[in-house]
Amino acid sequence: MFDQVKAAAAENLKLPRDVVLGEVLVSFVGRTCAIVENYRGILIYDDQTVKLQAKNCKLQFHGKRLHIDYYNHDEMKISGQIQSMEFGD
Amino acid sequence: MKEALKHYCGGYLRIRLKGFSPERFLNLCMARQIVIWDLRYQDGGYQFFITVKDFRRVRPLVKKAQVRLLILGRFGLPFFLYQNRRRKLFAVGLALFCLVLFVMSQFIWDITVDGNYRFTDDTLLHYLDTLDIRYGKRKAGIDCGQLEESIRSHYPEIIWVSARISGTRLMIKVKENEVMGSIPVKDDGPRDLVAENAGTITRMVVRRGKAQVAIGDSVEAGQVLVSGELPVYNDAEEMVDMRLVHADADIYAVTTEAYRETVPRLATKRSDTGKKRRGLRIRAGSLSFLWMLPSIGQNPWEVTSRSSQVAVLGDFFLPVWVDQILAQEYQTYERFQTKEDLEREKQKIHQKKMENLAEKGVQILENSVKILRGDSCWEVQGEFLLERQIGVGREIRQAEKETDLADERSGDDY
Repeated sequence: MFDQVKAAAAENLKLPRDVVLGEVLVSFVGRTCAIVENYRGILIYDDQTVKLQAKNCKLQFHGKRLHIDYYNHDEMKISGQIQSMEFGD
Repeated sequence: MKEALKHYCGGYLRIRLKGFSPERFLNLCMARQIVIWDLRYQDGGYQFFITVKDFRRVRPLVKKAQVRLLILGRFGLPFFLYQNRRRKLFAVGLALFCLVLFVMSQFIWDITVDGNYRFTDDTLLHYLDTLDIRYGKRKAGIDCGQLEESIRSHYPEIIWVSARISGTRLMIKVKENEVMGSIPVKDDGPRDLVAENAGTITRMVVRRGKAQVAIGDSVEAGQVLVSGELPVYNDAEEMVDMRLVHADADIYAVTTEAYRETVPRLATKRSDTGKKRRGLRIRAGSLSFLWMLPSIGQNPWEVTSRSSQVAVLGDFFLPVWVDQILAQEYQTYERFQTKEDLEREKQKIHQKKMENLAEKGVQILENSVKILRGDSCWEVQGEFLLERQIGVGREIRQAEKETDLADERSGDDY
């Protein structure tokens, strides 16, 4: 219920959803670099897959020679040859 | 950059991670704000960098996640110092380097002057020299406020000065008074306007004086165009007085101007042989070291060098100059001028003449140029038809005029 109110408030007040609702924010720079913000943790990591847990979903990067340049509480930078990204529940 | 420097100073490790739940270990590190970077998956395990300080904190996490850590490499200043702990001379050299750098940083090694137009850099630097401010002066001995005041009082045309020391550089910015210091005294003395060149009058506007010529008249050089003598007549139309005025007019005339220039028959040409030598010269005070191969052969070399002062950081200049030297071998030979050479030379001379005239504000109506063969050289002959202002002032001597007037009154006739 509270989440619905927050979502409605964000929608009506034109507030950014990643700030208000803590939704995951993914930025790509070409196909070799992705920056993920608002994630919770790492579920799986190898050189072909990076699976992350966000607040409301999971997201999975597929590619080749994937590596994590850095990660901290706020954001993570993934580099390598990114082929796809998918969301899951 | 700042992070990398921090990591280097504190030391960091390359770690290999293997075990039951590496992802859990990574999440635990994140939760405890342990910084991990450049994480890679390699050969069934993980490799990453971690600071020494954080490595000491991960022991409980290793147990919790049931993983094993293996140190692959140690990097950073603490490890570098530990590895070189026996190299005493190295440490002495490093300390000496720091000491020299510190000592050198106490002196001025570069002076820049900005914003000056009327006074050249050399003039201002020479003045600073008289104030005992020169290259090699101690920074502590320079009072920027006093220096500003001295420059302002010595050069009244400089209305604003800012002097500041940045690194080992003394930067002086000045602003000069763009308004002229004194208004030039207007010459209002009696004068005639005479023709500077011979020509035909095309336009004239007389503001003061009595015109002696009209539009369309041909005049000779030195002929009076506007007279500064205004006769005053009485009712009987007899001249009773002569008023002398400052004749003023704009008089334009069409004039011709010719010139002759000689071009030698033989031209000295230069051709590069393609051989080059590069060198380096380091200058420090009166010492100079040159690294350059000696010249081979009889041909002359053209040597150019680019000089730059050594700076450690942006404004931290050292009293050391490096010259990059480039020497190119060439040979000279003489040959008769070809048609193309002569044509080029002719156009060059003529173009220069035209530019000189244009600079004077003269309008060129027609121009022609030809090149003729002389006895020992070629001769470029050019002619211009110009429209220019030809009136120049010529002072009227008061005493002479008064005598003339007295003679006229007395009726003497010579």
